[in-house]
Amino acid sequence: MSFLVLDHLQKSFGTTKVVHDFNLSVDKGEFVSFLGPSGCGKTTVLRMVAGFETPSEGQIVIDGQDVTRLRPNQRQIGMVFQSYALFPNLTVAENVGFGLKVAGVPRAERGPRVAEMLDLIGLPDLGGRYPWQLSGGQQQRVALARALAPRPRVLLLDEPLSALDAKIRVSLRNQIREIQQQLGITTIFVTHDQEEALSISDRIVVMHKGIADQTGTPSDIYNSPATHFVAGFVGTLNRFEAEVVDAASGHVRVAGAGILLERPLPPGKVVLAARPESLQIAPEGIPAEITGVEFLGSVQRLRARVDGAEVVLDRFNAPGEELPRPGARVHLAAARASWLVLPE
Amino acid sequence: MKRLWSWAAIIAGSLYFLLPLIGTVEFSLRMRRGEYSLDAYRSVLADPNFRDTFGYSIVMALLTIVLGVLIVVPTAYWVRLRLPRLRPVIEFITLLPLVIPAIVVVFGYIRLYNTSSVLPLTGTAGGTNLLLLCGYATLALPYMYRAVDTGLSTLDVRSLTEAAQSLGAGWVRIIGRLILPNVLGAVMSGAFLSFAIVIGEFTMAALLNRPAFGPYMQLLGANRAYEPAALAVIAFAATWGCMGLMQLISRLLGVRKTAK
Repeated sequence: MSFLVLDHLQKSFGTTKVVHDFNLSVDKGEFVSFLGPSGCGKTTVLRMVAGFETPSEGQIVIDGQDVTRLRPNQRQIGMVFQSYALFPNLTVAENVGFGLKVAGVPRAERGPRVAEMLDLIGLPDLGGRYPWQLSGGQQQRVALARALAPRPRVLLLDEPLSALDAKIRVSLRNQIREIQQQLGITTIFVTHDQEEALSISDRIVVMHKGIADQTGTPSDIYNSPATHFVAGFVGTLNRFEAEVVDAASGHVRVAGAGILLERPLPPGKVVLAARPESLQIAPEGIPAEITGVEFLGSVQRLRARVDGAEVVLDRFNAPGEELPRPGARVHLAAARASWLVLPE
Repeated sequence: MKRLWSWAAIIAGSLYFLLPLIGTVEFSLRMRRGEYSLDAYRSVLADPNFRDTFGYSIVMALLTIVLGVLIVVPTAYWVRLRLPRLRPVIEFITLLPLVIPAIVVVFGYIRLYNTSSVLPLTGTAGGTNLLLLCGYATLALPYMYRAVDTGLSTLDVRSLTEAAQSLGAGWVRIIGRLILPNVLGAVMSGAFLSFAIVIGEFTMAALLNRPAFGPYMQLLGANRAYEPAALAVIAFAATWGCMGLMQLISRLLGVRKTAK
């Protein structure tokens, strides 16, 4: 049985519906990310789980208990905010111990628990400092410790890494994942950063215009996007208009070049797609003209034009390898299995 | 050249504020003919009416601050948290005491709460004190609200509230333990202004016939020469002394430095 169930959740603000019939079941200890652009409704769903927004319709169940109408302070949920939201008048230790104090945990038990949490986040010696004496990354780790200290049933993370710089973001997201796995706490993580979602989630819910477009493992989402939106939003995708020559065998024609997919296709026209790392320059294939080369460190990115549309190819950086120059005419190909056929 | 103007402004401002004070102090010391003395101060401090009225006004000022904080902090907090669209309306309401003269307010009170009304508050000393307290809180409202609202604007009220709620805190704890301590500096400035207003207030106290310091100063000023100057200096020093004490107490109560 699922630990957290969001059943037909809907939310409207006035006449504007921001969440449409949202359904999700999360297992105990699972790490689920809500991924989507700004305004897609991901934070609204999270806030409904936290109790800061009341669903217009639907039900929220945690560990078998219907919490839909419970106040936020009755839900036993830990939340970490983008802006840290540490209490500025309290020290780090007091911040971490705040939830325990509210819950009436005796001082003798609070101290060791606070110390345990500070150890967990790697800041054992900073208990006496005030939030403004910490860096952004340290503040967010304290916020995480504060949320975890009262042993919440569910941990909610609302874009916790957005305000941090790139390097700290990567190290903190790994730390969040480690802690989550160590404690086995059910977690929902809201982000608009696909790399973040792909790297630390057990499952991802890609949201678009208040709807869960696709729910699946990071690999499912990246390799088998269910909608055009998911395909476009998660990673970079090259699209090709293709004419189906033989629907049964999956023989299609792209810019005059034949491709055999060996899978049944609908008759007429389809949209084929390939990731930049799947496309390669080959002796035969789709005719293209190189329009630019970018050096991105570990990767070199080639830009090419196919039938007037721009496509992108990524190749690992191999020092000494000669790359085609802009203006060169080449052929592009991809392994059969890596071609995606996008739904209409 | 810019510096010169800055210094000129500082010197002009200082003279504007300090000269009358120096003049008052100097005059208050001239009660004994031909030499400076503290006779005027001795005379004032020996007057039991001074102690009674000054004590009364200090108590009323402190109660006004408490009432002001109880009304303004939750209101300003709630407006920022849940009713931001009502802010202009609330601001307008809090400005009304600046444009409605105190005499209008106090006549309104007398008319509404006289001994032949449904709620005859003016019939008893306690009831009249309560009316005066409400009047003082009204007079201090523009200063207290602005100070607290400015203090709240430096906080992410919504996130702090939601963080506290997710940790199980209720409204009383959120306001008392998290919001109030973080706007205490602003509350203290509002309190300072409230204190200063109440200590010298004349109209309401006189018309409600309460033994406050304002009417006492007026009475003394009308009948004596040097004592009113000494009284003004004492009141000035006592007001600043009380404010210093309030700052000290707030620090001793564990109010700590908040985020920059």
